[in-house]
Amino acid sequence: MLKILLPTIMLVPTIWAVPAKYLWSTTLSYSLIISLISLTWLKSSAESGWSFLNPYMATDPLSTPLLALTCWLLPLMILASQNHTAPEPISRQRTYITLLTSLQIFLIMAFSATEVIMFYIMFEATLIPTLVIITRWGNQTERLNAGTYFLFYTLAGSLPLLVALLLLQNNTGTLSLLTLQYTPSMQLSSFADKLWWAGCLLAFLVKMPLYGAHLWLPKAHVEAPIAGSMVLAAVLLKLGGYGMMRMMIMLEPLTKELSYPFIIFALWGVIMTGSICLRQTDLKSLIAYSSVSHMGLVAAGILIQTSWGFTGALILMIAHGLTSSALFCLANTNYERTHSRTMILARGLQMVLPLMTAWWFIASLANLALPPLPNLMGELMIITSLFHWSWWTIALTGGGTLITAGYSLYMFLMTQRGPLPAHIISLDPTHSREHLLMALHLLPLILLISKPELIWGWTA
Amino acid sequence: MNPYILAILLFGLGLGTTITFASSHWLLAWMGLEMNTLAIIPLMAQHHHPRAVEATTKYFLTQAAAAATLLFASITNAWLTGQWEIQQITHPLPTTMITLALALKIGLAPLHAWLPEVLQGLDLTTGLILSTWQKLAPFALILQIQPSNSTTLIILGLASTLIGGWGGLNQTQLRKILAYSSIAHLGWMILVLQFSPSITLLTLLTYLIMTSSTFLVFKLNKSTNINTLATSWAKAPALTALTPLILLSLGGLPPLTGFMPKWLILQELTKQGLAPTATLAALSALLSLYFYLRLSYAMTLTISPNSLLGTAPWRLPSTQLTYPLATSTALTICLLPLTPAISALLTP
Repeated sequence: MLKILLPTIMLVPTIWAVPAKYLWSTTLSYSLIISLISLTWLKSSAESGWSFLNPYMATDPLSTPLLALTCWLLPLMILASQNHTAPEPISRQRTYITLLTSLQIFLIMAFSATEVIMFYIMFEATLIPTLVIITRWGNQTERLNAGTYFLFYTLAGSLPLLVALLLLQNNTGTLSLLTLQYTPSMQLSSFADKLWWAGCLLAFLVKMPLYGAHLWLPKAHVEAPIAGSMVLAAVLLKLGGYGMMRMMIMLEPLTKELSYPFIIFALWGVIMTGSICLRQTDLKSLIAYSSVSHMGLVAAGILIQTSWGFTGALILMIAHGLTSSALFCLANTNYERTHSRTMILARGLQMVLPLMTAWWFIASLANLALPPLPNLMGELMIITSLFHWSWWTIALTGGGTLITAGYSLYMFLMTQRGPLPAHIISLDPTHSREHLLMALHLLPLILLISKPELIWGWTA
Repeated sequence: MNPYILAILLFGLGLGTTITFASSHWLLAWMGLEMNTLAIIPLMAQHHHPRAVEATTKYFLTQAAAAATLLFASITNAWLTGQWEIQQITHPLPTTMITLALALKIGLAPLHAWLPEVLQGLDLTTGLILSTWQKLAPFALILQIQPSNSTTLIILGLASTLIGGWGGLNQTQLRKILAYSSIAHLGWMILVLQFSPSITLLTLLTYLIMTSSTFLVFKLNKSTNINTLATSWAKAPALTALTPLILLSLGGLPPLTGFMPKWLILQELTKQGLAPTATLAALSALLSLYFYLRLSYAMTLTISPNSLLGTAPWRLPSTQLTYPLATSTALTICLLPLTPAISALLTP
């Protein structure tokens, strides 16, 4: 565990010490090496489920895919940020990469925490670098509002979580995940206990986000620079899902009744945010709402507490992380050329950038959950377990799948097909850096087709 | 100011607090508090500006009233129980009067109205002394009395956190913002007083460090309102990059030091069965966080030419020692991992 954490911490002095012309190549190769070593976590060997154990951190089949995704994402973020930060002075570029790295450190500590309060502190700690990335390096004036919404929505949910965790600690004496699954289940019946249940989950539902508490997400994703959008979509939303999966163990038996409204919100959110996507003019906003839609499915899958639900949720989280991040990178390639997120401004790009169209095609197919990609595996497992829970959900989930296919196709056709507008007179050809970025996003997704056991979680 | 006079006044300040710290007799404690008040009055009025004189007058009147109430309460206690020991206050009437007198001394809601106006009239150095040193002596007394009426203290605490949060939202003057932040933090300190005085002491000490950092940052930038903060990137770029962390630490965000007192207080409150109080206090901290965030936006996260809020300032060479600022900033940002050590250190 420290083999990954300490090198990541030492990346910070490296960033400041390396000569300016080697900054980006050094940080990229350093973080790539760290991410390749992090893949060793995927082979978990212990019988008890927890591997790579030290007193404060451990990994288990639930956290390992998310950790690998987090570590994989740092080189991708560095790759994506190289162009738009190029005009800035070198110390600002170093500060930017330091922010990305500190975010990485907090995320690694969050996903590998064994004590729930440590998870909480790291969960909150990720807010500060993300806030600075969004509000300092975003491009439009709305970024201040986006940062405020992001910070306050998340904190309003997570402060009750802190009180709920402290109450749990009083009750059970410990908050170590290693032993919490073995404590006898509590007698939870009073109204105060129901408030406690809500307090435990609210923070993660806001983070995921649940439809209804999702208003921060379109703002934050749209206003963030590319690295901010990538890390938000790929990892920070999954913190919510991961937290929910960890907390569910202790929330029995209240969840059977209390989760109804949240499952309904989640499923209705799939339909609603999918429909909004069909009417979007802003490309990043479309991808952001599509994230809400996918995470609604994840939330529903977790809340019904079946093994297929959990597995599907985890697979969908990983697959969506890679897909959504890829789509944001594609949107960024448009933005860097036209400095606009409006879709109709840069249409028919297949004529001009045909190789990029190939990446758009694969990413859109992944978004609409084409077999045999893991996106489909996750969605199908969640839809099946929801169907088993209640036949009526098939109306919502099936409709949601249809709408997802609709807007993914819409996004592809809008940006790539059709006539090239007359005002597009000079666009940079695609950089090799951008091709590499897209390949590094989509190749893991395609490779996961052949060994999905890696991201199955506990049922492996 | 004449250096000899300044030396005498600072000596008086130090002596007053020391006398209060060392006393076990109420009269001696009262004397120390009065010495503090009298010593700081010339410091506050040294610039002879009408606004400063107004602030001094308001400060004198409120502190004198509080000290008189304190004297009256201790005499009442002597009459009722026959002794003058500070730690032996048991009768509820003197206890309540002393609690309210000390609340007026430090600026707890609902006795807080003087603090923003007084702080606004002072220059940043005197304001720093008022916010930090002048809180020590009353807290020495607060920590020693064993208050038994739980509801009063919880109401004082919650009212302070809410008023401190809401009051600061409409301010553009930095000293008033820091005054409301002071009120809010004092509220947190009082909330946990009856359950664990050592956590109150920890909160006080971390607050002193954080607020010293903030005052010293503003002093270095010679800025007194949000508009002039916007040009601080030109005066001290590295400090401008660090100041959001100081402000967010004041706001109580993990993993910065400011989270430590909030965490320990919420833990103690939940242990005592006051979970709704804990939740309300935690959510009221979000109000204060809003104006700290606004300060960070104005100072660091937006940059010229995006914000032409402040006119081009004179950048004269600064004679300020940077060592105190450096130390307090380091402590403000990095002290959270030492939480167990610090709370063990402060538990008797």
